[in-house]
Amino acid sequence: MKKTIYGVAGVAILVFAGFLVYRAMQSGLTYFILPNEYAKQQDRYEGRRIQLGGIVEAGSVKFDEETLLLNFNITDTFQTYPVSHTGAPPDLFKDNTGVVIEGKFDGNVFVSNSVKVKHSEEYKPPAEGEAVNLEELKETLY
Amino acid sequence: MTLSLGQLGQASIFMALALSLYAIVAGVLGAVRRDARLQTSARFTAIAVFLATTTAIAVLEVALLLDDFSLKYVAETSSLGAPTWVKVVTLWASLNGSILLWTWLLSGYTAVLALSAPNNVMRPWALVVMQCVQLFFIGTLATIANPFTVLSNPPLDGPGPNALLQNHWMMAVHPLLMYLGFVGLTVPFAFAMAALITRRPGTEWMTQTRTWTMTGWGFLTAAIIAGGWWSYEVLGWGGYWAWDPVENVSFLPWLTATAFIHGVQVQERRRMLKSWNVMLIVLTFALTILGTFLIRSGVLSSVHAFGAGPTGIVFLGFFIIVVLVSFGLLAWRWDQVRDQAELDDLVSREGSFLVGNILFLAMTFAVLLGTVFPLIVEAFTNDKVTVGSPFFNQVSLPIWILIFILMGIGPLLPWRKAETQTLTKNLLWMAGGAFVFAVLSFIFGMRKIYPLITVAVVGWNLVSLGLLIAGAVIPRAKITRKSIASVFKQYAFENKRRFGSMVVHFGVIVIALGIMASSAYRVDRQINIPYGKSAEFQGYTLKAIDKFTDPPMEELAAAQQTGRAINRISVGAIIELWQGDKLVKVKRPRLNRFAGQQMTVSTPAVLYLPFYDIYLNIVGEVTPETTSVTIRAVQSPLVTWIWVGAAVIIVGTAYALSPNGRRVRESKETRVGA
Repeated sequence: MKKTIYGVAGVAILVFAGFLVYRAMQSGLTYFILPNEYAKQQDRYEGRRIQLGGIVEAGSVKFDEETLLLNFNITDTFQTYPVSHTGAPPDLFKDNTGVVIEGKFDGNVFVSNSVKVKHSEEYKPPAEGEAVNLEELKETLY
Repeated sequence: MTLSLGQLGQASIFMALALSLYAIVAGVLGAVRRDARLQTSARFTAIAVFLATTTAIAVLEVALLLDDFSLKYVAETSSLGAPTWVKVVTLWASLNGSILLWTWLLSGYTAVLALSAPNNVMRPWALVVMQCVQLFFIGTLATIANPFTVLSNPPLDGPGPNALLQNHWMMAVHPLLMYLGFVGLTVPFAFAMAALITRRPGTEWMTQTRTWTMTGWGFLTAAIIAGGWWSYEVLGWGGYWAWDPVENVSFLPWLTATAFIHGVQVQERRRMLKSWNVMLIVLTFALTILGTFLIRSGVLSSVHAFGAGPTGIVFLGFFIIVVLVSFGLLAWRWDQVRDQAELDDLVSREGSFLVGNILFLAMTFAVLLGTVFPLIVEAFTNDKVTVGSPFFNQVSLPIWILIFILMGIGPLLPWRKAETQTLTKNLLWMAGGAFVFAVLSFIFGMRKIYPLITVAVVGWNLVSLGLLIAGAVIPRAKITRKSIASVFKQYAFENKRRFGSMVVHFGVIVIALGIMASSAYRVDRQINIPYGKSAEFQGYTLKAIDKFTDPPMEELAAAQQTGRAINRISVGAIIELWQGDKLVKVKRPRLNRFAGQQMTVSTPAVLYLPFYDIYLNIVGEVTPETTSVTIRAVQSPLVTWIWVGAAVIIVGTAYALSPNGRRVRESKETRVGA
């Protein structure tokens, strides 16, 4: 009797764990990528909710206070995409800052509903003309 | 020879290290040989360790208050211009100081334990375990997390603590509460290990540590809620919980600790679930260590970015040791720990606790999996992912509902086996309460499914509490012919543990309602209001009057002329909240910049009302050129009930721990005599 209970319990636990993993994969996971990765694998990420990390392209920021529409370009120096966001830019948002935005691609434009400025101690924006190490960039923005 | 603060601090850490080592050796030898002198020596050494760590912490505080920038910790974390209270809390604003705080509290608890624990075979071993944990922490402080490193070229000033930490007084409270919780729960863990070592895995170790366990649990509960409130008042998004790794990591040990404090009751009454209880307290302690590894090592992405360093990984090493040793001990003593009595019936008090344990563990597993999933994915596929709130909410809400339903039935079930007639009657009453609450809410416009279920379960639980109290009070009133009120008072006075637990469960219900309403019925909008104009929000007219600075412009100009440094400069907007033609409140949300830092931190303005909060946060800029202000306005219904519910839980816990009224002891004596 006891063995049966433990057996059933064990199976139930495994089923539950499997269910959790399934749920996590389905709805919970949000991939974090750089613009060039999106360019290389568009079909994988198209229409899906993702986190895009990159740098705010200098001179591209436009914020309309009446409509609360924020437009700017996000880049990793290999690929650049325009971003559209409803809401005021967060603190410290300016040219050449590292940002992580969350949302979906709508055609070629990234529609974001969350813009976060990355201000960890490790992040340093690349100097003029310096080649960007994509791995490092991704690491510091994550 | 003058002794610098840095050297004094280093010396006290090494002193503590040496003393700890001695305490372990003396403690083990004293326990094995049953040598009272060695045991006493070990006990007094615990006090000496506490004195050493107190010296260390005092040195660091003095260094902070005296602006001694020759200490690397002070140079990197403090600043000349910071207010005194900020300098005091800078002690734990950065990792090394934070570890020192944890260590100090741990040594304090160990010293108290050495002085107050009853003299039995477990005491020396429990102290040895505490000292081993201390050895880990002090060892970390002596090597990689040294707060007393000296700089040969001290700077003239420092950057000050992170702006988010200077911005709110909660910084002085939340970390302390959290560590008091963690350290408090280390004591039952130490006694569980001692019980296994001395082959006494019975009830002794739990009853002895009951006060420690409940107090630790109480502090941990308070710490988590305080963290949520701090988030709410500081982070600017009007929310209090985001299932962020840092939050999850404090929540996990709370879940297993809650299961543990309930499992304890089964062991006390029926001598069952012994192995469960040992595993739960081991898990609780292990999770606090694992959690520290996860959030201090930089392996997980978090908004609370604590910053990565080498210290994180040693916690992983310690975690592995703890798990191996504890489960090893458990396996070694399995024969003694294994239950002798079998569960008579699942539909019984002990059955409900068992089901409850399973539910809490399921939730722990789910949250843990969600938190470490990004690590697993990255290890296998090199993809970086985050697991967001939807996963945690979808998985935990159903489990919570089940736990709440259980919270209603459990206390009403008798031990061993429930009698069908009474059970059915109680269930019908409770189902009736659930139905009435759900229907009333539906009539008043509630349509979302989870809120309706929550409200139904609240009704279920309120009726359950009513039945519990009625069942205790009415028969007594009939027999003694006293008034219901006086019988109720007497009952509450004489049964503090039981009544206290009812109060705690009531607090949980209040929190459940608060979370339900503030999640499901929250209104969140960004509004741009030109100064001099107004905008409508949820029945309020928000009038943007003007900008302001703090300190005022004249003082800023004067300071600029004289070159005086100001630690915090704030700019903000004066917003009036009107309802119709009545001015309800004037609010001043602001943006703060701290000297020496780039980051601007906002201070939202919150209008606290019993049934909802109006939360205003400035997004966008406030500069001499701006002519309007962009506000994020959030209305959160019943969010205050979360903080109030937490207070109820704390009061209930304290009440449950206080000694019972005299009458119980008197009547017990009479019964024994007769």
